[in-house]
Amino acid sequence: MADAAGSVAEPVGLELAEQFSSKDQQREAATLGMWAWLLTELLLFAGLFLCALVLRILYPASVTLATTHLKFWIGATNTAVLICSSFTMSGAIVTSRLGFRRLMLGCMLATAGLGSIFLLLKGFEYYQDYNEHMMPFLNMPYLLEKDTSSRLFVDVYYVTTGLHGLHLITGVSILLWLTWQASQPRFLEFHQNRIEVYGLYWHFIDLIWIIVFPVLYVLNR
Amino acid sequence: MTGNERRLLLRRMRTPAITFVVLLLLLCSNVVLGATLPFRGAYIVEAVITACMVLTVLLVSMEIVHEPPLIRLFSAVGFFWVTIMFGMTLVDYLSR
Repeated sequence: MADAAGSVAEPVGLELAEQFSSKDQQREAATLGMWAWLLTELLLFAGLFLCALVLRILYPASVTLATTHLKFWIGATNTAVLICSSFTMSGAIVTSRLGFRRLMLGCMLATAGLGSIFLLLKGFEYYQDYNEHMMPFLNMPYLLEKDTSSRLFVDVYYVTTGLHGLHLITGVSILLWLTWQASQPRFLEFHQNRIEVYGLYWHFIDLIWIIVFPVLYVLNR
Repeated sequence: MTGNERRLLLRRMRTPAITFVVLLLLLCSNVVLGATLPFRGAYIVEAVITACMVLTVLLVSMEIVHEPPLIRLFSAVGFFWVTIMFGMTLVDYLSR
């Protein structure tokens, strides 16, 4: 809302919940809770990364053969898209701290849009894999049928990227819901902290993909 | 938006913008290495670049350095745990 001086900044703050003694304690508890959850997610993904790396050590030729059939350039583009989305999410956090609600909403929508572009590209990649018979878990011929070890790596690829995609779908959905909440009057005055805590989740999704891309697509290609 | 607000916004966006550019440059390096495979040990450089990208996101984008000590400790212990898991497993397979 613009004031007489032309300022668009709104009051920013946090509504103190009764179980906390101070706003700082409430803020810290929310951040710590998000980190606790993110670390369990990290352990989940770390197991999959380790599987992929062990397969690379045990069956290097089979894995190299399988990776040549992955869509390297779509993976690279998707990494760039997520890095852009991390930038817009940082923009949303910065503008929320400053109380620039309209800018913040724009940044949040841009982040959701970039997340959706990632999902569309991933869907297109899966569609191409399907056409090339690179889905060994389906009841159809598998392109690398003679190389049974490659199937292990391809299965890990689908589990990892599928799980990451699921997190991204959840992330975009929550972000759109949060954007709707943030569009309500006085949101920043009472709930600015939600943007910060959600931002951690989005950056974490980006971080996981930053590891997925080299582990599955790039190493010893 | 007043001139002061615009300047404040630009100043606050400087770190995210620099992080964005750094991450894109690191990604470009990894993509070039992956696409051309210029030498046998390229995977070591790719792994180092990836580690730099992860640290950049953790320390700057996720702002761990500005968090209270308890959260810093918590996140460090979590990533250290993963390092132990990777280290012990890979030492086993790589030393066979």
